[in-house]
Amino acid sequence: MYGWHLRILRVNLTTKKVTTEDVDPKIARDYLGGRGWAIHYLYKEMDPMADALSPENVLIFATGPLTATPAPTGNRYMVVTKSPLTGALAHSNSGGEFPTWMKRTGFDMFIFEGKSPEPVYVFVNEDQVEVRSAAHVWGKDTHETTDILKAETSADARVACIGQAGENLALMAAIMNDKHRAAARSGVGAVMGSKNLKAVVAMGNKNPALHNPEEMRALSVDTSKNVGADVKKGSNMRIYGTSYVPQVTNTLGILPTRNFLQGTFEHVNNIDGDALKNQYLIRHTPCYRCPLSCGRLTEVPDGKYKGKGEGPEYETISSLGTGCGVSDLAALLKANYLCNEYGMDTITTGMTIAAAMEMYEKGYIPESVIGQPLKFGDHDAMIEMIKLMAHREGFGNDLAQGSYRLAEKYGHPEIAVTTRKQEFPGYDPRGSQGMGLLYATSNKGASHMEGDVAYEEVFGVPVKENPLTTEGKPELVKHFEDSFALMDSSGVCVFVGIRYMFNKDRMILPQTLANMMNLSTGAGYTPEEALKAAERVYNLERMFLLKAGSTEDTLPYRMLHEPLPDGPAKGKVVELDKMLPEFYKVRGWDEKGWPTREKLQELGLPN
Amino acid sequence: MMIRVKLIANYREALPPEAKHGVVELDVPAGTTVYEAISRFDIPLNDESVIVLNGLTVDMNTPLVEGDMVTAFSAIAGG
Repeated sequence: MYGWHLRILRVNLTTKKVTTEDVDPKIARDYLGGRGWAIHYLYKEMDPMADALSPENVLIFATGPLTATPAPTGNRYMVVTKSPLTGALAHSNSGGEFPTWMKRTGFDMFIFEGKSPEPVYVFVNEDQVEVRSAAHVWGKDTHETTDILKAETSADARVACIGQAGENLALMAAIMNDKHRAAARSGVGAVMGSKNLKAVVAMGNKNPALHNPEEMRALSVDTSKNVGADVKKGSNMRIYGTSYVPQVTNTLGILPTRNFLQGTFEHVNNIDGDALKNQYLIRHTPCYRCPLSCGRLTEVPDGKYKGKGEGPEYETISSLGTGCGVSDLAALLKANYLCNEYGMDTITTGMTIAAAMEMYEKGYIPESVIGQPLKFGDHDAMIEMIKLMAHREGFGNDLAQGSYRLAEKYGHPEIAVTTRKQEFPGYDPRGSQGMGLLYATSNKGASHMEGDVAYEEVFGVPVKENPLTTEGKPELVKHFEDSFALMDSSGVCVFVGIRYMFNKDRMILPQTLANMMNLSTGAGYTPEEALKAAERVYNLERMFLLKAGSTEDTLPYRMLHEPLPDGPAKGKVVELDKMLPEFYKVRGWDEKGWPTREKLQELGLPN
Repeated sequence: MMIRVKLIANYREALPPEAKHGVVELDVPAGTTVYEAISRFDIPLNDESVIVLNGLTVDMNTPLVEGDMVTAFSAIAGG
């Protein structure tokens, strides 16, 4: 077989038993790879009601049929498991180098079951698989851990690991790979911590065989040339990474500010892409085989925020920055570096601190509980809270549960801006209605990466859509959700995928992406078939979360009942009731949001 | 009448040196449209650009009024 190895590595951490198994080629084709394969196995193998931090949870690392191929940005993997933050599904994506190295072990997917009685890491060098003691790196941050494990295995190996936040089961813990890249969302790092699995170290030389290597290379070169042409014209993603976005969202009035109390930030010029470029940027840093190169290596050379690392991305600026009312860029960089080192999702970290700041200012949480003042804009307090969260010390233990549980504990659940208990990313849906529908229905709780219609509503990619209207949004959101499930299953990055592997119609069609998957695997997908397989993946994920008890598609109080007070979307709330019934119809789901028997049959899914 | 034009990120290179944080003030005749105002700058006036008036999606032939802000950014990248 081509593209896929059709081999899975299974490690039972309780017994330390390591087994390998083959994948049925029909399952491979029907579920695409990556995110799709992972939900097929997760749904089959675990009870969706199981406690996410118990040994019954299953943790899956999954690459796609384009990972480790010449496809530009074919460098991604997915971490799929049950989320301890949302109690529903987690699927978090990351790039860098680790995913390519993982696929070169000769396995498409690693499945981790059970729980080790003591800290371990798993070293995979092709068919040599060892479960080794991690006692010496337990308690260390992600950077130290990566250096130590590479030194004792091989300089040719790549490391995915957790930091202190994952060890301590903080619900915003990420899995970091190559030090700076994160499978960030939904607390996947806490699942790894609950299994006493500190790290996974991968190496090998088994590139997947390609169905048509010559044409695959030619198409990859062509696609890279298209990216290169835009880079030459001055692509913001190359010049700024995503750090240019605060100016865009501020203009549209959808920049989360002070826990979504506002949609514009008066100090945006202090923390935007130009400020970053002019003050702290060293150079851009690509993931493996990426012609776009949106990563930023930055450094605060001196002072109390001295540090060096990657970031901040837009989502970090809109959470730890504007979300917390913070306008000190050096402090924001320091906060970002700390999150990467402790292994924390900056979105949930930042927006949980933002919620705590609002509750402090409103007198809902007294200073005696926090141990210090916690006003919006207090960047030193924000940094202190990150340290407490990672270690679950003092008030940090409350923060480490995320904003939903924090707000509920202190009697004001209306303060938490979450769906399925996961914090919103950086697009206020009151001024971006399609994003509101997306957050309400997303299989993983609030997430832009579940079907980012902001591409059209905000960025005009590939066409501009009015963000304030609801007409046509259910169809668009469904289409984007399926398209993102396809990209996440294939192994490419959405940044390049959506712009260069789909056509330019409003309802984007994956012509180049399907072609690449065919050249890699020989599966012969039409673009429509590939999207249909992605719809199968999306519906199976939906069944998992419904069976996990996460049945309500709604938005938090603020989004439905508190109009935006400022900016172009002033006076708007999310008109969810205008979109949700139509969305269910478009999806082929019943009025309660359950896939109908007919829809499941159409997709070949179990009833 | 006075209006403002804001260009974001790489488009700022098309602004005159007196622009601050990407914003320049312009004195334009009454009846000037969004399209006419943004045409004064060397940026692509096709689907490679997103152009909004006071942050809102509008027809490019909309006439401006005193104090309006026209903002443009490149649609090449996405977020």
